[in-house]
Amino acid sequence: MMSIWLHGLVRRRGGRLLATAAGVAIAVALMASLGAFFASSKATMTNRAAQGVAVDWQVAVKTAPKVAPVLRAVKAAPGTIAALPVTFADTQGMHATAGGTTQSTGPGEVLGIPAGYWNTFPKASRLLSGSRNGVLLAQQTAANLHVKPGDTIVIGRSGSRPFHAAVAGVIDLPQSDSLFQRVGAPSQSQPVAPPDNVALLPASVFAKAYAPGRIAPGVLTTQIHVKRSHALPPDPSAAFTADMAAALHLQAVTSGAGVVGDNLGATLDAARSDALYAQILFLFLGAPGALLAAALTAAVSSAGATRRRTEQALLRTRGATRAQLLRLSVIEAVLVGAIGSIVGLLAATGLGALIFGSPSLGATPGAAIAYAGTSVLVGILISVLVIVFPAFRDLRDGSRITTTGDIGRAASPRWLRYGLDFIFLGAALAVFWATSRNQFNLVLVPEGVPTISVNYWAFLGPALAWAGAALLAWRIADLLLNRGSGLVSGFLKPVAHELARTVASQMSRQRRTIARSAVLVGLALSFAISTATFNSTYRQQAEADAQLTNGADVTVTESPGTSVPPARAAALARVPGVKAVQPVQHRFAYVGTDLQDLYGISPRTITKATTLQDAYFQNATAAQSLQRLASGPNGVLVSAETVNSFQLHLGDTLRLRLQVTDSHSYRYVTFRYVGIVNEFPTAPKDSFLVTNASYVAQQTGSNAVGAFLVNTGGQNISSIGNQIQNLVGTSAKVTGLTATRGQVSSSLTSVDLTGLTKLELIFALIIVAAAGGLVTGLALNERRKSLAIATALGANSRQLRTFGLGEPTFVAILGVVTGALAGWGLSEMLVKVLTGVFDPPPAHLAVPWNYLSIVTVASLLAIALAAVFIARRAETNVHEQLREL
Amino acid sequence: MTSSSQPLVECRQVSRTFGRGSSAVVAVHAATCVVDDHARIAVVGASGSGKSTLLHLFGGLDSPTSGHIAWPAWGRPPRGHGDDVGTVFQGASLMPDLNVVENVTLPLLFQGVSQHAAQARARESLALMDIETLAEKLPEELSGGQAQRVSVARVVATRPRLILADEPTGQLDQSTARHVIEVLLQAADELAAGLVVATHDPLIAAHLDHHWVMHEGTLDVTMAGAEGAAASAGAS
Repeated sequence: MMSIWLHGLVRRRGGRLLATAAGVAIAVALMASLGAFFASSKATMTNRAAQGVAVDWQVAVKTAPKVAPVLRAVKAAPGTIAALPVTFADTQGMHATAGGTTQSTGPGEVLGIPAGYWNTFPKASRLLSGSRNGVLLAQQTAANLHVKPGDTIVIGRSGSRPFHAAVAGVIDLPQSDSLFQRVGAPSQSQPVAPPDNVALLPASVFAKAYAPGRIAPGVLTTQIHVKRSHALPPDPSAAFTADMAAALHLQAVTSGAGVVGDNLGATLDAARSDALYAQILFLFLGAPGALLAAALTAAVSSAGATRRRTEQALLRTRGATRAQLLRLSVIEAVLVGAIGSIVGLLAATGLGALIFGSPSLGATPGAAIAYAGTSVLVGILISVLVIVFPAFRDLRDGSRITTTGDIGRAASPRWLRYGLDFIFLGAALAVFWATSRNQFNLVLVPEGVPTISVNYWAFLGPALAWAGAALLAWRIADLLLNRGSGLVSGFLKPVAHELARTVASQMSRQRRTIARSAVLVGLALSFAISTATFNSTYRQQAEADAQLTNGADVTVTESPGTSVPPARAAALARVPGVKAVQPVQHRFAYVGTDLQDLYGISPRTITKATTLQDAYFQNATAAQSLQRLASGPNGVLVSAETVNSFQLHLGDTLRLRLQVTDSHSYRYVTFRYVGIVNEFPTAPKDSFLVTNASYVAQQTGSNAVGAFLVNTGGQNISSIGNQIQNLVGTSAKVTGLTATRGQVSSSLTSVDLTGLTKLELIFALIIVAAAGGLVTGLALNERRKSLAIATALGANSRQLRTFGLGEPTFVAILGVVTGALAGWGLSEMLVKVLTGVFDPPPAHLAVPWNYLSIVTVASLLAIALAAVFIARRAETNVHEQLREL
Repeated sequence: MTSSSQPLVECRQVSRTFGRGSSAVVAVHAATCVVDDHARIAVVGASGSGKSTLLHLFGGLDSPTSGHIAWPAWGRPPRGHGDDVGTVFQGASLMPDLNVVENVTLPLLFQGVSQHAAQARARESLALMDIETLAEKLPEELSGGQAQRVSVARVVATRPRLILADEPTGQLDQSTARHVIEVLLQAADELAAGLVVATHDPLIAAHLDHHWVMHEGTLDVTMAGAEGAAASAGAS
């Protein structure tokens, strides 16, 4: 009996079986692709985080006699690849005579670097000029002293005569913050900035300069710099825990003589938050897709429900037991689930190879097998739910010999009467409001606890909103087709003429099927819209973040203490490819006792070189804020924190203390508060001030520029940056947006989200087209008989199309409207809930109109093609259909 | 409308084959016949003998694989013109999601009759069949006999020149079957239409003037009256 049933099933219902399997395949492929992507992303995050660290551990040794035992312990610690002692000494200052003038610096740091250090820790420095074999100066120190390789500097020593050293090279210290950290000190007592003046001496030279007896006691401190093995667990959280445990173990072994400054752990700590955000994104973006695919499969399967019930009833009259019928449906489910899963896994591997360049479904073979296995289980679960469950329900519900299907005087669904849609939407708003009170803090890092967790409650808001929107769309469809049948008839009149009322009546009785199709199309579209909009907004903000940090396409930052006039902009503007250059002054001003960064700009021209987003300002747009600044010479934009602290009101006078260039003394300068600024290109995250450059120059007697913002039109950033670097030499630091993109992005964004976006958009497109075409097509296919009857009753081609197109037209219109509204609402909600992913928070959504147009057209086209195909088939196969009457 | 002296259907060596090669099934083989105006014909034969296919060919719902078929009374194929031919099908041929009156209205609307006029004619036709009380019911709420009477009412409403009934009583009890055939004859008389009924029931065939016998796709139109009735009894 089983084989006969299976044979018949494949032969007679092959199309429907394949369509159901296709739905399962979409779900499996989506789950496998996204799951595998995030699994490998986590491993990538760990690797990239670890690779970016210059020195993994800086072990501070408390006393000099302990250096040797601590070094031994560090070298013996499992996972240590190399360990080298670095000695730190303070200097009162340095001076040098070059070009007939003598330049001096303030206090600084001198480091004793052991042999082989630069090879062991290559990311710790970047050679700008000269060679690493000898005494090295940090770029800013070299600029302050106006020296170059070959020149001699004099290093002041406390309690001893100055030490003379010939400079071999000038280097940049990219991770100077961690290099000069106060190891073991809490974050609030860490230095605000690394020292401006740094000299790095080979250990042999350092030993001469700071030999015992020549210097005051307590001047020297020693750190052991450690290179650790990066063979870490792939999950950033596990990697962080492993690293932290190793660091604590070392501290225990050295009995506290060595305190670990865990740079690797700090980076992994950030990466594990990002990994959780990745998990959140997976849930937000993957789960709705998989649910939709499951719903699609259910809709496809239920399109043949009437027929299946009739077949079941016939088999029962021929003596089949309920258990036998249930077994038949299980076999059907397993067959569909297996075919769907295999196709889905193949599709996932294909997409992986196409988009990510690797067909593997996981970072390791074990992970790949786990993901593939889980996806197959999900596929079989879906097919069991959509095939076995309805069959079981039918068998349980009674002994009906024939069935009535989904048509007729069926009452509206019960949930409609109970207003479940409004309950869901109300609950969604309530949860959303409750989550917003927590500032949408999705990733929780409890104080003092090494584990972090995700606030999954935040998911409830969008999930309820999605479900509520779907049910509301169903209610509207039901209302329009039932009580609003006259309205539908009126709408159809121009096309259907005298048939309008009949078509509307027919649609009214098919409203359950039609509502389901419209809701599915709407949900699929809303998924596509919200996913695409979220991704687009994400990209927009990542770009804004990079530009905010770098300042512009290329930024030329002058060394502190140098006095470069704005006229240098003209030389920079002559570099081929440069569109515009804007000078920005960088000073410091005392607001009360608080020292803040102050930026002097030209408000009328600054936007020629950089983009200012409305989100950077508060209570006014970017254009309005600049306009206010330009309206008076002494206008100033201040941070919200300052406004609150000093209870400022627009137009208030502010007296700030600024340094006068000639006398180096501070004087009071009067400003007028004109607005709030939260972010500004090149500005720090904390409080700062933005004002007119001309006013600052007039009041301080200097028009010296802090940085030049260079607009290259987004083209050839790296090569233009290199040309500018050649032009300005080592006197200024040149940074390009391309390099900054990689640096500012968290480890989450450094993962290939472009591929993920492609993957999601492909799936969204497939689901939208499938929802439109497959569901509508199968629903219409089940009514081929009606179309055949219409043909037999004399309907011409036009009338037949009218008869067949009413339903798809309704599905298309309601689906698109619902999808657009729900998609827009969900996008707003998603961006708000996932606010932690964005920096800076977006002022508005970035809507990818091209993609959304393609998705909408694909959906409409799929519906239209399915409808026309079925109508044609009904028209040409009339005889076949009639033989079945 | 063309002259009433013209035959309604003329077939010469008409064949209809389904499928190809070894799996080909010849449903109708070289049938030659004429359906005259006002004719009352019973096409009898066992199940699968090709009766339904022949009727579909008469109604222009199917095309012959070979041979020639013509409709001299109209001078064109009747398909798409419900006022030419009305068909009562073997099984439930009502639109499941339209109520009775909407079902009866449908072919009229296809002819371009206004909704208002179509409703009036449909109700008139239902009254003629004595089933006006079923007007608002859905097909699933009707018995087999009621559904078939609605099918007849739908044909009557279009006022066709030729009524084709394909096993109209196949799923009905004897009493209901007799009532349906009487209704069909009454309708044909009132419309002055030709009537061709495919049936394997000799009692139904007995109500008609001419008995054509289909046997494995071959049509024999030479038998008439008692001889045909006997043949139809044998076929059943």
